[in-house]
Amino acid sequence: MISADTLAFILMSGILLGGLYALMATGLAIVWTTLGVFNFAHGTLLALGAYVAWQVTQSVSGGLGFLLAVIISMGVMFLVGFLLHYVLIKPFERHENVVLLAVITTLAGASIIENTILLSWGPRDRQISPPISGKIEFFGAAFNTYDFVILGISLLALLALAFFLRHTTRGRSMRAAAQNREAAELMGLNVSLLFALTIGLAAATAALAGIFIGSLRFISPAFGADPLMKSLIVVILGGVARFSSPIYAAFIVGIAESFSAYFLGLYWAPAVLFAMMIAVLLIKPEGLFGHRSKTL
Amino acid sequence: MSAPLLQISNLAGGYPPVSVFHGIDFSIGDHESVGFFGPNGHGKSTLLKTIAGLIDPWDGDIVFDGVQLNAKGRMRARTSRNLNYDLFRRRRMVAQTAVRSGLIYVMQGNLLFPEMTVGEVLEIAPVAAAGRQGVGEMREQIDALFPRLRERWTSKIRYLSGGERQMVSIAVGLLALPRLLMLDEPTLGLSPKLRIELSVAIRKIRQTKVPLIIVDQNIEFLTSLVDRLLLFDHGSITREIAADAMPSHDEVMAMMFGEAS
Amino acid sequence: MKYAPPFHRSNGFWPITIIFVLLLALPFVFTDTYTRHTMILVFIYAILASNWDISLGYGGIVNFAHLGFFAIGLYSYGIASKVLGVDPWLAFMLAPVLSVAFAALLAIPILRLEGIYVILVTIAATQLLLQIVVSQSAFTGGTSGMVLLPRLSIADYRLSSDNRIGYYYLALVLLSVSTVFLYKLERSSLGRAIKAMRDNKYYAMARGTSEGRIRLLTLCASSFFPGLAGGFYGAYLRVASPDVFGLGFLTITLSVLLLGGISTIWGSLIAAFVITILSQILGDYGSWRNIIIAVVIISVVILYPGGLFAAIQEIWGGLNRLKTRIIASYRRMFRAGERRAAMGFADRLMRTRHGEVSVCDTRTGDQALIFIHGNSSCKEVFRHQFSAFSDRFRVVAFDLPGHGVSPNGDPEVHYNVEAYAQIVDDLVAELGLGKPIVFGWSLGGYVALEYAATGGPLAGLAICGTSPIAKYPDDMPRGYVPTPHMELAGKRFHSPHEKYNYATHTIGMKKGLEPLLWQAVWRTDGQAREQVFAKLKTLDWPRQTRMLRSGDIPFAMINGPLDPFINHGYCRQFTYGDIWQGKPQNVGDAGHAPFLEKPEPFNAMLRGFIARIFPEKGQL
Repeated sequence: MISADTLAFILMSGILLGGLYALMATGLAIVWTTLGVFNFAHGTLLALGAYVAWQVTQSVSGGLGFLLAVIISMGVMFLVGFLLHYVLIKPFERHENVVLLAVITTLAGASIIENTILLSWGPRDRQISPPISGKIEFFGAAFNTYDFVILGISLLALLALAFFLRHTTRGRSMRAAAQNREAAELMGLNVSLLFALTIGLAAATAALAGIFIGSLRFISPAFGADPLMKSLIVVILGGVARFSSPIYAAFIVGIAESFSAYFLGLYWAPAVLFAMMIAVLLIKPEGLFGHRSKTL
Repeated sequence: MSAPLLQISNLAGGYPPVSVFHGIDFSIGDHESVGFFGPNGHGKSTLLKTIAGLIDPWDGDIVFDGVQLNAKGRMRARTSRNLNYDLFRRRRMVAQTAVRSGLIYVMQGNLLFPEMTVGEVLEIAPVAAAGRQGVGEMREQIDALFPRLRERWTSKIRYLSGGERQMVSIAVGLLALPRLLMLDEPTLGLSPKLRIELSVAIRKIRQTKVPLIIVDQNIEFLTSLVDRLLLFDHGSITREIAADAMPSHDEVMAMMFGEAS
Repeated sequence: MKYAPPFHRSNGFWPITIIFVLLLALPFVFTDTYTRHTMILVFIYAILASNWDISLGYGGIVNFAHLGFFAIGLYSYGIASKVLGVDPWLAFMLAPVLSVAFAALLAIPILRLEGIYVILVTIAATQLLLQIVVSQSAFTGGTSGMVLLPRLSIADYRLSSDNRIGYYYLALVLLSVSTVFLYKLERSSLGRAIKAMRDNKYYAMARGTSEGRIRLLTLCASSFFPGLAGGFYGAYLRVASPDVFGLGFLTITLSVLLLGGISTIWGSLIAAFVITILSQILGDYGSWRNIIIAVVIISVVILYPGGLFAAIQEIWGGLNRLKTRIIASYRRMFRAGERRAAMGFADRLMRTRHGEVSVCDTRTGDQALIFIHGNSSCKEVFRHQFSAFSDRFRVVAFDLPGHGVSPNGDPEVHYNVEAYAQIVDDLVAELGLGKPIVFGWSLGGYVALEYAATGGPLAGLAICGTSPIAKYPDDMPRGYVPTPHMELAGKRFHSPHEKYNYATHTIGMKKGLEPLLWQAVWRTDGQAREQVFAKLKTLDWPRQTRMLRSGDIPFAMINGPLDPFINHGYCRQFTYGDIWQGKPQNVGDAGHAPFLEKPEPFNAMLRGFIARIFPEKGQL
């Protein structure tokens, strides 16, 4: 029988993991709900963001360097995401098969970004040095303070994004364009620009998530694949009915992952998650917190 | 007489390669109101969507308030069936320009934005007014026209009834401060009570001298509102009837389909 | 009924036979291992991509687990032959069985899912497979994979000896069998059900096709050969590694499919060759190779979604247009004498709003008679009428654009019934024909009806071999007897066999007896056929019907009783406002073209109709 301490430890690591997953998955979810396409380049955007940040921390070190790295990386990735829309998705925005075509072009786009990283930074693993060290005692187990900072910043970033979408004219216009493209055009909104802004925002959140992962573990050109799959699981599990549904799902996935890693072993944890996802798709394809219509 | 507000000449369009309408000529003067009547599926909505800029016209001119809204000349035929022409060819007409110059189209059975509240939608609607004066007054007018919308201010659109949705649609159109308002079957699928309520509102809008284009299946409703009636059949305007010679439903049916056979 | 000619009578027969023979002979020309290895990879990619097309292209099921089938084949060969010690050939045969089983299992979750969810489930299923493979390293070798798998051999002869010639032929056999399977499948009732499910799901379901069953069969059918290819891959390279689950492999296979063109079998085969060679050439550049392949994918999808096969078809179409243009110019320049001898009058080019047309005009006589020929024909079919009517009438006939000696027109603008009717209008105005009597045969009948319906000036209207259509397309199957030749009428490219069939069946004569029609079919611009038929649906049919029912214009219908196309009962029952003699008339025992087959009785009948229009002219 496991002790309450162990249980608390597993739960806490799950929650910490969930914060990261929420940040990664929200970017994927807002693109899906707004443009109606699945962005398979999301994982490589994470990786590219991490590499840009790493490059900045190489020139400016310390806490200031990290802060600068976050700002520059998010800005750069916003522009990359913005461009991505015009290159990969806009050319066939009126096409009936836009979903399939976007899967194909974003996969190809992911391949281009990944190989560009490989060409620019080489295949060697890198790490962004975390700006904060120190431990916190929690139910008898020691956690890195940095983990809690990440959780806090992730949630704050998501809160800021939610505020932007709900309470500013620009954010509301983005939601309008997401829900009914034709009606938004008839309201005089520049839908293409709003779509590009959405992908830009998603890429910026991806960059933030990439930096956090890169400072916890190592980064390599192909490291985006795993976060992409995790975000996919989260988004499907939670559905996209509300802005918050993938966030709840992220914590469920994080906790499920840390439990299965503890009890079944590291190798089986992803298999459990995928099985969970297929089960949800079978029983409730719109997600645990979803209803049929998609929205932002 | 000065130049008409909206001048459509020799307009053709459709969903390539299917031509839906062709050779459309009509014009609308200031303060004038025009009705379209014709069978379903003959291209009335496609025509209005083209004028609003949602669909590229194939040929002809759309001149609104002296400004040519669409690219001049005929749309070039495709020489290759497989090339993605959308990529190379600029849009021949953009909804944004039409809307911002005050040519407003209220879509048929518009679902609007199902997950936004009435308040949110009506607050972003004046984007289309493009800085013209009078949004505040229009808000007051809308409150007077559709008092029900204030009651549903915080409801999401998808919880509204069909009539309420139509009211929001028209309110969104009005908040764009239209210089010409195109209503596409505003009373479609509504209960008789709501239909009357909405008709009253549209008559009030008519009294504010906003020029209107109305498409409807109810000939009596149309004739009570418009100065001219255009009969639309098989993708072209087949007849024009002035206000003083407004026919009854049966007469129009006889004109369009010949004697009952 | 859908017209599908047997393979040996289609246009593709010769090119494919030649390529197959070349592939058979290739190992004797290139004896080095590298070429053969490259070709074996080409064959494997071709099998993978063309079979993927069953689900992705024909079935519309966006299945991203396709490479999972391949991986299952690969690993089941590896595990069965190495871990379990099964005979390699038996393990090779086991591979497709297991991959079909996996496909059937995969069909269950996606039975009721749509669009993006299918993509997600299939990707998740592949990832699940990968996780299982990685976690069960005792059997699968984990992340580093399995090496030194047993090789295939026949008796004591190893397929890898003699520079892998055995594997080359085995791969070629697999590809050939797979291609024959796909070709047969596409033309089978199952293949049609699969396409119907993609094109109009609810209609197909309403006709009693089970969606679940079709999805299951689609996935199973598309998984057999990839499984086999996976087994082959394991036996050939003797390695099974989790790389086959990676995005790189997926991207290359997908690029083969897309570059070749979706929903074509042959496209994937061509593209497999192009992509594999490209990727072998760029092999030394590592990352650049992947970037270039990704750029190729994006460019194809964005610029030219039809892919290579569509490009080949367009080039073929362009050549066909060029050919017909050259034939027309040649005949215009050098064969004018022949035509003059046949018609008795010379023809000349006249400009209309739809380009130039070749017109034959007798120039004398005060009442004009215009003859309009049918699909894939020419004005010379009316030569008996020229000799019979030119003494009392001004007889005019012309070649429609893309037909006879008229130049080809712009397919989008000039090839439709409305444009043809406008040409008649222009000719009437230009030649000063006043109010002519218009006779239209077959497709020309619709041109004549359209001309009359749009208010063109005329004194009388006669059609032949044309069923009046009140409601399109509902009346088409009622007005015509459905035969495969109806399909040919709207087909762009005819193989020689089809040309012969079409020419002879149109009038029921042998090629030797009437070379004119054979030549006319040979010359006709395929685009004219295709466009005219495609645009019938935009024609204002009620306008024609209103005109016919109004009875304002003297109207006659003169048919051959043995006409194989039109439904005589339908023509009799159609409501006419005014029809000569009260019903459609029949000429002797003629077929589709009575004026050409039985000119004497036909001309007498036409005279009778004209006499009814102009009774004051008395006996004609």
